[in-house]
Amino acid sequence: MPWYLYLALKQLFASGQRIFFTAISILSVALGVWLMIVVLSVMGGFRAGIHGMMVSTQGDIVVRANEPFDHPEAVQKLIEKVPGVVATTDFAQGVAMVEYEHRPEFPAIQGFNVNSVDRVMAIDEHLLRGSLADLDDDSIILSSELATSIGADLGSKVEVYSPLMLERLQSDEILLPKELTVVGIFQIGHQQLDSSTVIVTLREMQDLYGLGRAVHGIAVKTASELDADDVADRINATLAAAQGGLIPAIPGLWALSWEEINRSILYAIQLEKHLMTFILLFVVLVAGFLTMSLLLVMVLKKTREIGLLGALGASRRQIALCFSLQGVTIGVAGTAGGLLLGFTSLHFRNTIVHALTRMTESQKTLESVYQFSDLPSHTAASDVVVIVVSAIVLSTLAGIIPAIVAARLKPAEALRNE
Amino acid sequence: MSEPILTARGLRKGYLSGDRRIEVLQGIDFEIAARETVSIRGESGSGKSTLLHLLAGLDSPDQGTVTWAGLGGTGSGPRGRFLGMVFQAFYLIPELTARENVLMARRILGPVDRAAAARADELLAQVGLTPRADHLPAQLSGGERQRVALARALVNAPRLVLADEPTGNLDEATGDAMIELLLRLCADTGTALVLVTHNPAYAARAARPLVLHGGRLQ
Repeated sequence: MPWYLYLALKQLFASGQRIFFTAISILSVALGVWLMIVVLSVMGGFRAGIHGMMVSTQGDIVVRANEPFDHPEAVQKLIEKVPGVVATTDFAQGVAMVEYEHRPEFPAIQGFNVNSVDRVMAIDEHLLRGSLADLDDDSIILSSELATSIGADLGSKVEVYSPLMLERLQSDEILLPKELTVVGIFQIGHQQLDSSTVIVTLREMQDLYGLGRAVHGIAVKTASELDADDVADRINATLAAAQGGLIPAIPGLWALSWEEINRSILYAIQLEKHLMTFILLFVVLVAGFLTMSLLLVMVLKKTREIGLLGALGASRRQIALCFSLQGVTIGVAGTAGGLLLGFTSLHFRNTIVHALTRMTESQKTLESVYQFSDLPSHTAASDVVVIVVSAIVLSTLAGIIPAIVAARLKPAEALRNE
Repeated sequence: MSEPILTARGLRKGYLSGDRRIEVLQGIDFEIAARETVSIRGESGSGKSTLLHLLAGLDSPDQGTVTWAGLGGTGSGPRGRFLGMVFQAFYLIPELTARENVLMARRILGPVDRAAAARADELLAQVGLTPRADHLPAQLSGGERQRVALARALVNAPRLVLADEPTGNLDEATGDAMIELLLRLCADTGTALVLVTHNPAYAARAARPLVLHGGRLQ
């Protein structure tokens, strides 16, 4: 080990007052890194949560038209040839009244093609009870909070009324609801979806809404979430070229990626993330100033020792390295500690948040404001790189000024210093 | 006298004190041969330490030259091998033990191998500090600290030791013992010695006692 690193470590971790000051410096860097990793991961978690929610219920891309359209198979075949598209499934959606034992609710109703939906959406992963394989034209899957609110469970027979039935009621026709058996309860982790969504087969939905063979749209799964915007552009180009030729002209047929659909909320999250990064960098900057002041005080206190090192044959460059390495060491140790604290906090984030919301009785408020029942987290490798590089660079810069001061001391003057 | 290992010619050095310039050294010619012991005595402020710093290459003269025999210059590179220094205020690094302080002088020149560690232990034994080798400077007395500093000055087997008032912070008995040890170890290891002191008795122990007065060596 070079002497300047050896002495830097010895001086940093010397017993007594010095280790206390070193610990304060390391802790201040660690706190900054900790805050940054937690905040950026939670922000990333919201984005990933929205994507997860979308993929679970609508796929990476949704293709819609102004009106329900027939012949979805032809459109699907065309879309599936677009590079980046993995699979497609057709769907219909709307609003219905669901009633069980005289308890009505008005959830969103999704009609999925049971033959292809599992290739596009991960509904099975979110089923608390039951199975998607059991879903047929006489059954229904309920979201968890909806099931709780109407008191239904697996095997319960619920009645479903569609807007079409209400139209017929106005024409003095007899209103007969559809009686469907509950074969699954799902929970996405998104408050709105979990409290008011039901899933039926596409055929059942077409029947309820009188759509015939028409669908409301086509959900598309792409090879990677990052490509969704590009793939949506390619789909739109393909559809525009094919309409009136390979497929009939469908007014307003247009593909939107999950990012496009959620653009405003994603923009808000991204903006908030950038602002938080900017603000939290100041915490690391303050830690850097703390480190610098600590090292400057040390240079002043050790002036004669610096002179001695010169007398022993140390070069100015080596003396500068000795002090700048102390800044680097504080940065590296603080960053490592901050990452450890950050990932530990993220691991226990839901325990912590649930304990806090229980204490403040604000669980419902959290869910209604943020829509997620659990605090999401997604740590991007690029965020970790930014945090680690920022913390270490700032700490290193903090060590450079004291190092320059130390290196500029002339040994003879330093030895004369009293 | 045999070939000198250090030669200084026409050394001049002055300082600004306010608007006034004080010429501390006014043309010093000095040389010392291998194994020779030279003492430089003078009053406080006579420029003894300044002269020592110039000889050690720690400061640059306004005029004149310092030459170390067989070496290209007096920079930090060859300094650690050519000379060892002992100071009045010991200048031990407080975070290092006595052994680590001694080895620090070796570490600056390169990796510490077994031979270097053995030499440090041998020197600590010669200055009577083997039982205190793992103690920090704060746990040592003044005399013990100066003995650690002496071992540090000799650990690289230098050709010359420059001792700047090595007894200045010690009581009389400890100072006497220190001078005795310094002279004996330098003689045993064949190291030349320049002893700067204001004590006439200590100065007289050197083979060639000199006096710095009026900026000149006499």
